[in-house]
Amino acid sequence: MTHQNSFGNTAAKREQLFISLYKKAFPAVAKYISKKGGNFDEAKDVFQDALVIYYEKVINGSIILNTNEQGYLMGIAKHLWAKKFKENIKNTALDGSDACFVEADDITLASAKLMHYLETTGQKCLDILRAFYYDNLPVTKIAEVFGYSGVRSATVQKYKCMEKVRETIKERSLAYEDFIE
Amino acid sequence: MRTSLNEIKRIDEHVFGSGTPADAVLFDAMLILNPTLAEQVRWQKKAYAIIAEYSRKRLKAEIASAHNQLFLNRKHRTFRERILRLFK
Repeated sequence: MTHQNSFGNTAAKREQLFISLYKKAFPAVAKYISKKGGNFDEAKDVFQDALVIYYEKVINGSIILNTNEQGYLMGIAKHLWAKKFKENIKNTALDGSDACFVEADDITLASAKLMHYLETTGQKCLDILRAFYYDNLPVTKIAEVFGYSGVRSATVQKYKCMEKVRETIKERSLAYEDFIE
Repeated sequence: MRTSLNEIKRIDEHVFGSGTPADAVLFDAMLILNPTLAEQVRWQKKAYAIIAEYSRKRLKAEIASAHNQLFLNRKHRTFRERILRLFK
């Protein structure tokens, strides 16, 4: 939680950085996927998932941004492609039965309903909480980006938003019972 | 801050281990004495999971937007053609 996010404070800045990473690393990844028999959409999906993993590793401090980005992204992409390939084989061997996926689909549906409700009733709160818990932005930056007068009011808002989200989950979980494990 | 917000703060510190050792000991004692607090910890952990899911979804949208810029904007035509040639 203490590592600083070097990806930028706003969606626009992050997007510029993703464009730059795309230019640096996607050609090699696409070439690799193409050689392995994959198509453009598969290369795109693998690379985008690799970018998510890379972003999370950078914001958690596991790796440092600007240090051999192409190598990391290629390594993650190769791993994801191998995993996808193995899963395809496994799924084909299921002789047409997909019964084991039904439960997972139901859970995803309940979670999606809850997410939709939260997004329509309190997107700003979700964005503030994202900045704190996922993007690991410093509280001074969060205050600046979200227009709070200072660190204290941004911190209080964080806890107010957490209370709102937590209480909503509690209330809505009664309606979407399968969300509870 | 009001009491309920302070409780959220303490749960936050407990989950992420960001409080002092003395706070951690006190919180563990409170968890034993107050079953409602344990229940709140459980709900707050669900909230963290939902926030992570939401955040990832938004990040993926930002990445998809970067992809669209590169593959739809004329400015990046050379890059786009270079990639598409690999799949012909």
